[in-house]
Amino acid sequence: MSQSMKGLRKIVITMLVALGIGALFIMAIGENPLDAYIALFKGAFNGKLRLGTTLAGFTPLLLTSAAFAVAAQAGAFNVGVEGEVFLGGITAAYIGINWTFLPKPLLYLACFLGAMVIAAAWAFIPAALKAFYGVSEVCTTILMNTVAVYITSYLVSGPMSAGTANPQTLPVNVTLFQFMKPSSANLGILIAIGVVLLVIFMLHKTNWGYKIRTVGTNPAHADYVGISSRKVFIGSMMLSGMLGGIAGCIEVLGVHGYFLNNFATGLGSNGMLAALIVKSNMIFTPFMAFFLAVLKAGAMGMQQTTGVPKALVDTITAVFIIIATMETAFQFNSRRKKKKEEQA
Amino acid sequence: MSTIMENIDKIFNMSLIYATFRSATPIIFAALCAAITQQANIINIGTEGIMLVGAFTAVSVSYFTGSWILGVIAAMLAGAMIAMIMAVGHIRYNSEICAIGMGINMLAIAITKFLLKAVFDTNGGFSSPEIDPIPRVHLVFLNNVPIIKDLLNDWSITEWFAIVLIVILQFFFYKTVWGLRLRAVGQFPEAAKTAGIKVNAVKYQAMLISGLIGGLAGAHLSLGYSTQFIENMTNNRGFMGVAAMYFGGANPVLTAVGCLLFGFSDSVGARLQAYGIPSQFVLMMPYLVTVTVLSISMIAKLSANTKRQSALNVN
Repeated sequence: MSQSMKGLRKIVITMLVALGIGALFIMAIGENPLDAYIALFKGAFNGKLRLGTTLAGFTPLLLTSAAFAVAAQAGAFNVGVEGEVFLGGITAAYIGINWTFLPKPLLYLACFLGAMVIAAAWAFIPAALKAFYGVSEVCTTILMNTVAVYITSYLVSGPMSAGTANPQTLPVNVTLFQFMKPSSANLGILIAIGVVLLVIFMLHKTNWGYKIRTVGTNPAHADYVGISSRKVFIGSMMLSGMLGGIAGCIEVLGVHGYFLNNFATGLGSNGMLAALIVKSNMIFTPFMAFFLAVLKAGAMGMQQTTGVPKALVDTITAVFIIIATMETAFQFNSRRKKKKEEQA
Repeated sequence: MSTIMENIDKIFNMSLIYATFRSATPIIFAALCAAITQQANIINIGTEGIMLVGAFTAVSVSYFTGSWILGVIAAMLAGAMIAMIMAVGHIRYNSEICAIGMGINMLAIAITKFLLKAVFDTNGGFSSPEIDPIPRVHLVFLNNVPIIKDLLNDWSITEWFAIVLIVILQFFFYKTVWGLRLRAVGQFPEAAKTAGIKVNAVKYQAMLISGLIGGLAGAHLSLGYSTQFIENMTNNRGFMGVAAMYFGGANPVLTAVGCLLFGFSDSVGARLQAYGIPSQFVLMMPYLVTVTVLSISMIAKLSANTKRQSALNVN
């Protein structure tokens, strides 16, 4: 069996095990698991509003999961995507509100570029600390997430506040067209898909992509053949930050039309989960992001119709990840083979 | 700013010492939880999750049994259970430790949320007068000693225990055979194996004890530091603990010093809030200080290391 088929088989088995464990939880609180899962599915797809909500939820997850996966290709564990989404969002909001001297098409561009630059700069800090001084990027990115959230929270309730009770900014002057009203699904989904395809192409078909993958597999080898592993590491983290920034920009321009306090809570971490489950395989990651978006969107419907708390979905996802990280689980025949080889 | 200067004696006074220690204690427990596995070269990213599960277990057991001791014990066992999931995944099934650690953290947030809804039928948080908190120690003989009285009286039991635990772990790591084996496993597993040490057994033991301490950290947070459970109440304290552990190089005493630094910034920030500093800056302070201190300490360590190496290269 080929390597990718094996990977796929493992993902499917893991998914079934996770859903099985979820079923046990549902039974433990006295509900019918089958009813709950059907309600979950209906909650995600039944009707224009629900399908649109699923798609709107999928858009940022697609970008944040790709952001985590890109950093992982170079061996970085970037938990900081969430902070980058927040900072990208606030930058896009600032430019979208204040730079009205630009003609509209340029204003769109400025919003996206601004979000990307600020987010990439934010990602540069932990990346450089890791590359040059060996400071654990897991720790720094997690703690910097909180700092980023508080920075945006300060801006949106202070200098950039629209004066409403719920902290938010004034509306931005450019928005992305919402094509499935009343849901907030918007043209950002096309941008997200395009960007992710571009990143996949870049990783597998260009010089730079090759460098990233080399550094991720073996940094010592990279340095030996003349690829600066530090530079590539920092570059991939900054690219990861840019993707996070784009996600924030799409949320602001497409979904809300203004910057809302705490608007992106969980976007980064959910994207990370999607990427972790498939071991940051760039091809599988978007599908896993879609699967998680379906689970998230359906969770609300499940809670309303069956009384199963929607936190169950997060529990299932977490179990999913924990089992998925176990590299040598579910490799039935290969382990048996190994034993035979050892005995021989 | 002028008001801050005028009130400087209200910000920096004797009660700041206890305030610092009080906000540092949960992080100290978390850092010790991370330190013990770090000695075996396992970075315990799951500290946050272990703590959160411990906090929830402590509150619910204390609520249903009316006994804080049972709450603390149950929290420690729950922490150990979560740690063992990580241990089995990492040691037996070859999980990447950061990945499974983040999985554990997500699981902890989700499952406590789920149980909060399923058991107590509330969202957001749970508090009740029927939760039995960890008692505070009132030392009667200090009643007549002026300054010490305010400084040392009415600490909760677990706050005293944090100090005891630092000493115990320091002793275990550096003065016992088990500690030597633990460090050997962390620094050079092949050599440890050659010396007849069961490497995986030692790793499992480290994870188990780490889980017990992490559970205690959670119990202290929800029964000692406060008397309630709130969704995600650990609020990245576990990660601050891991950062402090890096700062102290997994040495319990140095690690605790790092935690005190974070506790200090937390308490000073809380006092500054009264003088017109925006709350967001105050809330962000401990995180900012943690990142900065962690970076500076790692940079210093690295440059010391290179200096030592270049000295070796001279001849």
